Amino acid sequence: MVEEAAKSLPMELSEKGGVENNGFVQNEAFDDKETDASSQEGMPKACAVAVEAVAEEETVLKPYAGMPKEVLLQFSSQARYRVTREILFWLIIAAAVALVCATIAIIALSPKCLDWWQASPIYQIYPRSFKDSNMDGDGDLKGIQEKLDHITYLNIKTVWITSFFKSPLKDLGYGAEDFYDIDPIFGSMRDFESLIAAIHDRGLKVIMDLIPNHTSDKHRWFQLSRNRTGKYTDYYIWQDCRQAAGSVIPPNNWVSVFGNSSWQFDDVRKQCYFHQFGKEQPDLNFRSPAVQQEIYDIMKFWLNKGIDGFSFSSLKFLLEATHLRDEPQVNKSQNGVIITAYSQLYHDYTTTQVGMHDIVRSFRQTMNEFSREPGRYRFMGSGDDEKEDIEATMMYYGTTFIQEADFPFNFNLINMKNLSGNSIFEAVDLWMKNMPVGKWPNWAVGSPNAARISSRIGKQYVNVMNMLLLTLPGTPVTYYGEEIGMENIASENVSEEHVNSDPVVVTLPEKSPMQWDGNINAGFTEGNSSWLPVNSNYQSVNVEVQMTQSNSTLNLYRELMLLRNSELPINRGWMCYIWNDSNVFVYVRELDGLDRVFMMVLNFGQESTIDLRAIVPNLPSEAVVRLSTNFSNAGKAVSTKLIKTEMGEGLVLEYKTTKPVHTMETFQDKCFVAEKACYSMALNLLYMNC
Amino acid sequence: KVGLFSGICMIVGTIIGSGIFVSPKSVLANVEAVGPCLTIWAACGVLATLGALCFAELGTMITKSGGEYPYLMEAFGPIPAFLFSWTSLLVTKPSSFAIICLSFAEYASAPFYPGCDPPQAVIKCLAAAAIVVITIVNSLSVKLGSYLQNFLTAAKMIIVTVIIVSGIVLLAQGKTENFKDSFKDSKISLSSISLAFYNGLWAYDGWNQLNYITEELKNPYRNLPLSIIIGIPLVTVCYVLINISYFTVMTSTELLQSQAVAVTFGDRVLYPASWIVPLFVVFSTIGSANGTCFTAGRLVYVAGREGHMLKVLSYISVKRLTPAPAIIFYGAIAIIYIIPGDIETLINYFSFAVWIFYGLTVFALIVMRFTRKELDRPIKIPIIIPVIVTLVSIVLVLAPIISAPELAYLYCILFILSGLIVYALFVHFKFSWAQKISKPMTMHLQMLLEVVPAEEV
Repeated sequence: MVEEAAKSLPMELSEKGGVENNGFVQNEAFDDKETDASSQEGMPKACAVAVEAVAEEETVLKPYAGMPKEVLLQFSSQARYRVTREILFWLIIAAAVALVCATIAIIALSPKCLDWWQASPIYQIYPRSFKDSNMDGDGDLKGIQEKLDHITYLNIKTVWITSFFKSPLKDLGYGAEDFYDIDPIFGSMRDFESLIAAIHDRGLKVIMDLIPNHTSDKHRWFQLSRNRTGKYTDYYIWQDCRQAAGSVIPPNNWVSVFGNSSWQFDDVRKQCYFHQFGKEQPDLNFRSPAVQQEIYDIMKFWLNKGIDGFSFSSLKFLLEATHLRDEPQVNKSQNGVIITAYSQLYHDYTTTQVGMHDIVRSFRQTMNEFSREPGRYRFMGSGDDEKEDIEATMMYYGTTFIQEADFPFNFNLINMKNLSGNSIFEAVDLWMKNMPVGKWPNWAVGSPNAARISSRIGKQYVNVMNMLLLTLPGTPVTYYGEEIGMENIASENVSEEHVNSDPVVVTLPEKSPMQWDGNINAGFTEGNSSWLPVNSNYQSVNVEVQMTQSNSTLNLYRELMLLRNSELPINRGWMCYIWNDSNVFVYVRELDGLDRVFMMVLNFGQESTIDLRAIVPNLPSEAVVRLSTNFSNAGKAVSTKLIKTEMGEGLVLEYKTTKPVHTMETFQDKCFVAEKACYSMALNLLYMNC
Repeated sequence: KVGLFSGICMIVGTIIGSGIFVSPKSVLANVEAVGPCLTIWAACGVLATLGALCFAELGTMITKSGGEYPYLMEAFGPIPAFLFSWTSLLVTKPSSFAIICLSFAEYASAPFYPGCDPPQAVIKCLAAAAIVVITIVNSLSVKLGSYLQNFLTAAKMIIVTVIIVSGIVLLAQGKTENFKDSFKDSKISLSSISLAFYNGLWAYDGWNQLNYITEELKNPYRNLPLSIIIGIPLVTVCYVLINISYFTVMTSTELLQSQAVAVTFGDRVLYPASWIVPLFVVFSTIGSANGTCFTAGRLVYVAGREGHMLKVLSYISVKRLTPAPAIIFYGAIAIIYIIPGDIETLINYFSFAVWIFYGLTVFALIVMRFTRKELDRPIKIPIIIPVIVTLVSIVLVLAPIISAPELAYLYCILFILSGLIVYALFVHFKFSWAQKISKPMTMHLQMLLEVVPAEEV
């Protein structure tokens, strides 16, 4: 490497080692030429030079290390140097061009990468029940901040905090009193800001609820509106209604979601106002541009605070028909009967009215203004717990030319009537076959408004449901507590006060406090009591205990997350239905270019045995159990002719094949892929156009 | 020959890299409030000026190119100087070249991958392409290289000006809310301040740039100190003003969370022309990469002259008058550094080595005040300045080791010391077999590249 070359050395060299050195030179020149593939021509010349050099030894006109310009120029134009030089030069130029072209080609062929809302599951937190930091028995924002490590422990990157607006209603925050403030039980705006900062510091994203349809009747706007103050006069939907014999005759037969007329007489304004939900929740008048502007301003306020997305609820109620005609009855023979229940009418004039989607799109436009910054795409989800036909739900996906929600939340797996391999298949397929091309699916098995899985369909299916959730294509939504298999609390535990104080028909048993450890109140609060009682099973079902157990629901959840994050086929590959019967639902996840395939065999019925080789031709005779709900089975090899699953057992089988299912003729119409991409093993990257 | 204006340009152009556009948050993250953050940026500028003043004295006293190398040689003899060139030429300089090219590749490809990281293949291909192109340009023509440098420095100054001017306009419009109570909520402790300084001073690295080309300066006794005294405060002012601009549109929390601060700024202020920011940041980054070629060549040249490096590396192209072997060597090593997965961590460990040599050099100034009294010192700075700079260097070397001690630092020390073995074998004992290999190699390389010793051109 390092050389000491004194000025006098060249002479010395030519005297002592001239011949020797020349031999060396010759050999080396020969080698050089060989590597440059022009040895044929070079060899004789090299010899000639050597001879020449020896001959001219005495006149110092011989190349030597450290030679000056005059000497160098006599030799450097020799073909063996010139050609090599030219070749090397052009090779380097070619290399530079090739590198640039390769970069451009890879960029041009790269598929759109998964956005943050596609790449990670969403963890839905009901803030009042997650963690109490101030010993008052109610969960709060500071509590969430304290427990963010749990979310990173699960490897989840998106947090969804359900409504925390200031609201007079004890529950849910349905019907905000102030869209610009946090309910005091959850903390202050400062707490919120520090929560957002803490979430972002961990590289997580946060989405929040926004229900624009109505406000609380305590809202300032409503107070101003009932006094007919300026622009607020038309903020709500007011109609004259006749008063006869002490009772109010509403303008039409419309009923609220909670039953009885959706019109309520207001003594101050002497008019009726419209409410889709409880009478404490008057509907905003979205035909007023001023109201729309208010909602945009609210969105901008929270987006400026750093929120990464909104989940809009009850959007289908935004507009009502202006003609106020009676809605048709479901049972036409009941003529004249006073309609009191929501299910007795077809809601043709109060839901999904023409123009509603325009408003939703304008919400999207508002959010897009905040999505320009790189890496700051703002997510928009829409959700309606009320059952809606699937076509209406799919409308929220927007079209290829007008963007709307990124996805409407999928409640199919929650609304399922009974449990079997077939019913799960139907619920999955209903979404998949109706979803517009190029859109992204999502899945949830629990929500704040449905009984928890263990109580809805049985404890033994908790793990297999999590396995389904985390291996289907699309974004999974996990409701807090599902990762440890929390159960509903017994409904008699829910004190009367809570049930009755609220006009909204809320279900509480699935909102019991998060079970963190085996301490009093399951570590949810250090206070004496919690707002809802902790489930009595908290000694065995809690985060701390399950962290230490290898066969726990929590551990399986983590393993599934690791699988999801490390295996591209599960992350963004094909899904093909293989088989479904009353017991099992079988599907594969595979990616073009990758010979590793994952097959999920999930049991939602009774113990059963299935011969997969009979269904899938060319299936290897053996597969490895990558993960199982029964922890001890992981890693075992099983025969694909005879796959046995117990009740509620789920298997993730892994095998290698050169003939993936999605290329087979017989499975053509049973396969689905969103954000299609192919994998190149050689370059370790994804590409499209394959 | 480099005049005063070019000298200032060179200082400003090299110091302002991509850092100020991408992650000015390192200072803020440590002190957490706007007021102390701006103060520390300014204080770092003062410290850098002090350090540069020491280099001004050294540079006018020993008018040799090669940065720290000749000063270490003069004060402590060949071994520290050899260790400096050994570490710089094999690790710190080529790896920082590689890093700058990698970040260039990252910025350039980021717009094509919204929402996720570009694949490694893209980043590495593009970085390698950048290295190859810069190497080709600089070995083909000095003029082409300096034209490129001027263009890229101009681009850098344009974006700096755009950001500063739009910040001033916003301030004039009354967007000052982020500066109210600017010292509130600050986290001030000895460790937080020293870490903030540590991070801040990195943004000023490059203040000794002109010392690498002392021999090429026109009238170095005047132009070297003047360039330093004008250049570094200029950079300081730019840094502080850019930070102020950022704070007019971003709260400190937002600044900390932004992936690329200047891009966020551009998006909020310059929309719909916000695309110019990433474009110019890319220019600025590649400009910094190009600039490093300039100095690396000089160091190889000087070290080769002293017999501390392969002589052939210090040779100059006969026809093109470029230090082609040095630049090709530099590029080749940089490409090797690109290949492994994560070199940034390695570099972070080595970065403290830079401060060892800064400290040693400034200490050399103090030592020579006593041992080399006879030397003519056209500029004589108060001795307190080198004392302060030496102390600061000691803190900066020890701070990362104490705050997060890791075995990797030991490996770095071992690598630096391993230079001693090389020194003993090839420089001190001058084994003849080493020359038997190197001489013909030198000769053939000379023929191939058409290069000759600089004094023979």
